[in-house]
Amino acid sequence: MGTLDEKLHSLRAGEISAEQNIQNFLDKIENEKYNAILYVNSEALEEARNVDRKIKQGRAGKLSGLAIAVKSNINVKGLKTSCASKTLENYSATYDATVIERIRREDGIVIGMANMDEFACGSSGETSYFGPILNPAARGRIPGGSSSGSAASIAGGLSDLAIGSDTGGSIRNPASHCGIIGIKPTYGLVPRQGLIDLAMSFDQIGTLGRDVYSTALLLEVIAGYSKREAVSRKVENLDYTSKLTPDLEGYKIGYVTEFEELTDRRINSEIKKSLEKLEMQGAELVEVNLPNLNKALPTYYLTTFVEFFSATRKYDGRRYGYKIEDVCGEEILRRIHIGSYISQKEYSGKYYRKALQFRSLITRELLEALRDIDLIAGPTTPKLPHRLGEKISPLDMYSYDVLTVQAKQVKSEISLLEYSFRQNLLKNRRFSM
Amino acid sequence: MKITIGLEIHEQIATNTKLFCNCSTSYREVKPNSNICEICTGMPGAKPMPPNRKAIDAAIEIALMFNCEIIQEPVYIQRKHYSYPDLPSGYQRTSLPIAKNGNLLGIGIWEVHFEEDPGKYDPVTGRVDYNRSGVPLVEIVTAPQLHSPEEARNFLRELTKVLQYTGKTREEGGTMRVDTNISLEGGARVEIKNINSVRGAYKALLFEITRQKNLMTHGRSVKRETRAFIESQMITRAMRVKEEAEDYRYIPDPDLPPVAITNEKIEYIKNILPEAPHLKEKRFIVEYKIKADDAKIIASELELANAFEKVAMVIPAQQAASWIRDEVRRILEYNGISFKNSGIEPDYIIELLNMMNSGKITVRTAKKVMELLPELRKSPRIIVEENSWVKISDENYVEAACEDALKENPGAVKDYLSGKREALNFIVGRVMSKTRGRADPARVLEILRKKVEGVMK
Repeated sequence: MGTLDEKLHSLRAGEISAEQNIQNFLDKIENEKYNAILYVNSEALEEARNVDRKIKQGRAGKLSGLAIAVKSNINVKGLKTSCASKTLENYSATYDATVIERIRREDGIVIGMANMDEFACGSSGETSYFGPILNPAARGRIPGGSSSGSAASIAGGLSDLAIGSDTGGSIRNPASHCGIIGIKPTYGLVPRQGLIDLAMSFDQIGTLGRDVYSTALLLEVIAGYSKREAVSRKVENLDYTSKLTPDLEGYKIGYVTEFEELTDRRINSEIKKSLEKLEMQGAELVEVNLPNLNKALPTYYLTTFVEFFSATRKYDGRRYGYKIEDVCGEEILRRIHIGSYISQKEYSGKYYRKALQFRSLITRELLEALRDIDLIAGPTTPKLPHRLGEKISPLDMYSYDVLTVQAKQVKSEISLLEYSFRQNLLKNRRFSM
Repeated sequence: MKITIGLEIHEQIATNTKLFCNCSTSYREVKPNSNICEICTGMPGAKPMPPNRKAIDAAIEIALMFNCEIIQEPVYIQRKHYSYPDLPSGYQRTSLPIAKNGNLLGIGIWEVHFEEDPGKYDPVTGRVDYNRSGVPLVEIVTAPQLHSPEEARNFLRELTKVLQYTGKTREEGGTMRVDTNISLEGGARVEIKNINSVRGAYKALLFEITRQKNLMTHGRSVKRETRAFIESQMITRAMRVKEEAEDYRYIPDPDLPPVAITNEKIEYIKNILPEAPHLKEKRFIVEYKIKADDAKIIASELELANAFEKVAMVIPAQQAASWIRDEVRRILEYNGISFKNSGIEPDYIIELLNMMNSGKITVRTAKKVMELLPELRKSPRIIVEENSWVKISDENYVEAACEDALKENPGAVKDYLSGKREALNFIVGRVMSKTRGRADPARVLEILRKKVEGVMK
């Protein structure tokens, strides 16, 4: 299989049609065994034929008929945006998320809705109401989560590109476990209008693909200021694809000593090899300390539980058929209960407000660390994926996120380069990969 | 027995679009659920747009009218969680105070903030209309410094006037909602919700005082609780006691950065602020030396007060005041309209009073023209000309009309001569109708008296 770059050339040259491209993926999805795609877009072929006409007229957009899998928590009008939960199993989206509008404008085709951890609460891909997702890259192992179906659809060859959402690692974690590239952009860079909430101050839509070019291309399409939301960043001239280069001369890349202490030695040795490669490409490696790293995880979970509790109040059984507490999985229920408990009037000072204070502290620490360097490189997860179905405690499950949560504490232009790193590097500070 | 009352007043802010989306705010005159989108119906994944600046500016202006201090730090918008069918997200977005420490009529204003209106739930059909969902509201919280239902009513009337003066709340009225706290000496504080008018607030407080006094006289204690006002019966009914008090689990809305209010903005709004009605009233008494009663009525509507000042530049102030207080108010009340929408221009009043004062038309004609202004909406001079209502100053013509009237009503003449003095008024009326009101009634009376008494001699 060629690269995405090559495929785009073939599509534009008319060597393959968008219709053929989509038909190929539809055939594969029909026989897929990963449980990666929950619903197929029945209009996909029709949309592809329209794109083919535009290609012939020479006015097709950047995505020219590429197939895109969409995580089931991003609204695609007319498709079931279920969050892989019984709560929303009958909800057909009434509108397109802003990112979907942007994908359509560039002639990308939504191939289907990807499976995920229920309401994006999970790091293993096992909590979907519609059954667990399998890891195409490592048989018998979890695919990671929560954008498990998005990652599996790339690793399993079910779509050209995918979008997912990342709150505390939900893109980077499954990308890492499935051996593909996934990126969580800086908060506010990609519009969230139409992304169903997990924790509003952390959630961010990002892209997944087989290589860095793919994720950069799709990010270029979906990123950028939107006046339809209040926390959107005013950034212009987003051009990532033209800045891809393996030349790292003059770059300062930080590595965090605390990361190493938390991480499995097999992963550490891979990271070490990668860092050496970076050095060979001209980068200067700088040691960085994040003494408050151990506070990131509890801070993250306290904050997200409260925000998730708030976000799920609309699923009260009046409009979507089921009350969330009556039909959701145990992880969802745990988060709602804890969120409700700690946001009570008598405790909010003790937990939620304190968590917000720690968040500011961690933010300052990271910004300080990033002052003199271009980016931080490190592993995505501290351990290798466990076997599918293996029972692990909630705390062990949460600890998968220990290396990815701190990026989201920072609503700023920072970048963390992680284990998903493969072929080349994005010369841009707006990413956390 | 000492009574302590505090008020929380909610009023809709008049903007074209809602607080967090671009939907139109008209919800009364349109089909249910026609001015809605994914944001104001809280569809999964929908986020608020940046808050409507015009609504926030209006809230600032209203706060400044009460001499409040505007909060200088960024103001967070919070989520207030509760479950009700009209609340599509399960929480209401409500700002922290944008202003504090104001006053009106000597009553402290604790704080002013803005929030979004929920939809409208009909418990009978079970349907929800989201047209109203997301309409901006301003909430004004008073200190517990009111001491009787009358005082509360008076305060609310004045507050309504102030809000109308700003022109920033909905003109059609009837959108005010009031919560009130009331406690009697020795009893717990009771909150009453669901009050929709000034009158409702007054009635609810009256009922509540009686209820609480009764409890106390029977040796029972007044519980700390929340009660609902039942307007159809003018009573209050228990909703929940303190132990069941809802915990709204307030959190700052993560989808909304705090709102910053700049000094420039505050200064700009201060410069365009209208004079408050009670201050205007006082100034009218001092500056124009008009009667206090007249000043109060004239200051009740900003446009009316402005019209008065314009008229008083040309017409003697007390005459202008009396005319506006008696004639203009009468016509406004009769038609059930505000001065602003009456079609009566200050220039029309000047023209009319000038014609009257110069003797060109009679008082009666002037009143008649006044009545026609809301319908005809054109210059009194033209109305008078078109109807040939110019006062008849031809003495012979009036005398002839008097002569005719006397001849036609010998009975009335006889009555008058036999001592029934009011019988002559009847003949005056006949003459006025013969001259279609254009004769000066005082002059007619004079002529008639002379003629009849001349017969006697």
